[in-house]
Amino acid sequence: MKTLAALKVLVVEDEALVSMLVEDMLSDLGCIVVGPAAELEEALRLASGADIDAALLDVNLGGRPIFPVADALKERGVPFAFASGYGEAGLSEGHKGATVLQKPFREADLRKVLEGLAAQIA
Amino acid sequence: MSSLAKASSRAEEDEVEDLVARLAATEEALAEEVRRSRALNRIAEAIGAGHDAETLVQTVVDGGVELTGAQFGAFFYKVVDEVGESFMLYSLSGAPRSAFEAFPMPRSTAVFAPTFNGEGVVRSDDITQDPRHGRNPPHHGMPEGHLPVRSYLAVPVITRQGAVLGGLFFGHPQPARFGTRAESLAVGLAAQAAVAIESVRTHEAAHAELVQRRVAEERLKFALESGRLGSWELDVETRAYLASDICKANYGRGPDDDFGFADLVASVHPDDRQRMTTAIEDAIRHGADYDIEYRVCTPGGDVRWVQARGRAAQTADHGGARRMAGVSLDVTERKRAEERQKLLVNELNHRVKNTLVSVQSIASQTLRTTDTPAAFRDAFEGRIMALSHTHDLLTQQNWEGASLREIFDFELEAFAARDRIVFDYARDVQLSPKATVALGMAIHELATNALKYGALSVPGGAVGVAWGPEPEEGSDGARLRLTWTERGGPPVVPPSRHGFGARLLEKGLAGELSAQVALAYDSLGLVCTMRLPIRALEP
Repeated sequence: MKTLAALKVLVVEDEALVSMLVEDMLSDLGCIVVGPAAELEEALRLASGADIDAALLDVNLGGRPIFPVADALKERGVPFAFASGYGEAGLSEGHKGATVLQKPFREADLRKVLEGLAAQIA
Repeated sequence: MSSLAKASSRAEEDEVEDLVARLAATEEALAEEVRRSRALNRIAEAIGAGHDAETLVQTVVDGGVELTGAQFGAFFYKVVDEVGESFMLYSLSGAPRSAFEAFPMPRSTAVFAPTFNGEGVVRSDDITQDPRHGRNPPHHGMPEGHLPVRSYLAVPVITRQGAVLGGLFFGHPQPARFGTRAESLAVGLAAQAAVAIESVRTHEAAHAELVQRRVAEERLKFALESGRLGSWELDVETRAYLASDICKANYGRGPDDDFGFADLVASVHPDDRQRMTTAIEDAIRHGADYDIEYRVCTPGGDVRWVQARGRAAQTADHGGARRMAGVSLDVTERKRAEERQKLLVNELNHRVKNTLVSVQSIASQTLRTTDTPAAFRDAFEGRIMALSHTHDLLTQQNWEGASLREIFDFELEAFAARDRIVFDYARDVQLSPKATVALGMAIHELATNALKYGALSVPGGAVGVAWGPEPEEGSDGARLRLTWTERGGPPVVPPSRHGFGARLLEKGLAGELSAQVALAYDSLGLVCTMRLPIRALEP
C-alpha cells in the first residue's frame, strides 16, 4: 500500500493537450510523471523497464491499440488504469473488467483511480 | 253479250281483282315475314358469333330498326354515377351520331322512367301528344333540333336477374307506325340482347381478369428480380425445398446447382444455424411469422448476410401446416453499412470526448498562465477558435487531413497581420488529421505570441515561414524542417514564466509528433525550428 505522494506514474497518451492536462493533474496530486509516451514502442519500453509504480494508458495510440503495453504491465505486476473516450466498450476481451477512467475526467476522478491502483501495490 | 252476262263478268272481274289484291297483300306480308325472319337470323348469328359488345349491340339496333319499320333506333346503356342514373348512347341506327351529340344524356323523366326502371314497354302513336311528354324542365319535351320523333317505342333491356342493362329505343317521324307486332318483336329482341350483352360482358370481364393476372404476375416477377428477391417454398412433410434462381444466387449457388433443404441448413453459419432451424420450426408449429437474418457461408468461401421471410400456410384438414413459402434477400451491403455506421457513431463519440478533454486542458492551462479574468477569456477564446478552425478544415477535407499551407491559411484567416507573414517553400506537404490538429494549435500559439510580444507587435516587424526537407536524416527516417523566424520586432528575452504556447511547442508537439522543437530567443527575434519526422506527419 502506497500513497499518491511521489508515486511514479507512467502516462501513455498521444494527444499533446490531453497529456499536458494529465501531467498537471498528476503533479498537483504529488505524483511523479514518467513519460508521457506518445508512441507504442516508447510506451512498451517504459512499461517493461522503467522504474514505475502505476500506469495510466490511453486505449488508442494513433490508431494502434494499447493492449500490448497493458500485457507487459500485467506481467510485471504494475497496476494500471485505462483512460478512454470509448468507456469500457473500447476494451479488448482480455482486459474487460479493468479500471477505466472515462474521458473527460475531473482531478478527483483521477485521484480515486490512482488511490485504487496504489492500494494494489504490495 | 247480255247485261246479265255483263254483270256476271263484272263480278268475276271484281273477284279476280280482289284475288289479285289479296294475293299481292299476302305476297307482301310473306315478303315482310321473310325480311323479318332474315333480320332475326342475322341478329341470332351476330349473337352466336361472339363479337365484342359494340358490334353486337349495333347489329341488334340495326335489326330492330328493320324489324319494327322504324326510322331511327338506338341503344342507351344505363350508367350510375354520383349524379344519379342516366342513359348513355351506345349504338345508333338511321341517324348520324352527331344528331345526339348536342344533347345531354337522357334523364329519368316521365317518358324515360319506365324504361330506366325496367318497368315495361312504352309505345306511343304520337309521343308529342302523350300526357307524360313535355313535363320536365329545361326542355319541356324534345330539345330543339332533336330527331323528329312522333311514333315512339321503348323497351328496357333486362337480365334474367332483373338488372336493367339499358334500353332499346325506336322512333318514326310519322304517327302510328308501331303496332302490337312491332312491340312484341322489340320485346323479343330486347330479351335476346340482354342475354347476349351479359354473356359478352362476362366473357370480357373474364378476359380482363386474365390479362390483369398476367400483368400482376409479370410485375411480381419484375419486382422480385429488380429487388434481388429470391423466392422459395418448403414442403413441410417431405422437406422438399424449391428455390428460385435468385434465391440460389443469394446462397452462392448457380441456377443449375442442386439446392435442397439440407444444403440450405448446411450453408447457414454454424453460429446462426440453431436460431434459423428454431425459427422455421416455430413458423410451422405455431404459425409464427418467419423473419430472420443470418450469415451464410457460400461454396466460394464468402460470408454473406441473408434475410429470409416467410409464412407457413395452415390447413384445417391437415391439422397443421403443409407448406411454407417466402422470400430471401442478400442484405450483406446493409449489414456492412450498419456496422460501418456503428463504428462511425463510436468514433464520433470518441472524438467528441477527446475534444472535450482538449477544451478542458486548454481551460486548465490557460487558467494557470493568465493573471486576470479578462486575459483568461481573451486567450481561452483564441485557443478554442484555433481548435474550431482546425476542425472546420478537417471537416472540409472529409477528415482525411490537410496540407501545411492550408493549416496556416485557416489559422491565420482572421489574423490582422496576416500579410506580414511571408512564406518560402518549394512544395506543400500533406498531413494526417492528428498532425493537422497538433500543428494548427502550434501555429495559433506562435502567431498570437508574435502579435502580442513579438515581431508583429510593432509596425515594421515581419515573420518568415519556411519549410523543406531536413538535409540530414534522423534515426526515424526523413524529416521536415519548419522554421518560424521573426524579424524587426522588439528585442526578445526568454520569458520568465513558461507559457502554454512554449510548453505546447517544446513538449506537447515534440511528444505527439515525435518532433524536435527548439525556441531560440534571438535578439533579432524569436526563431522556432521544428524537425518533424515525415512518417509522423503523413496521412
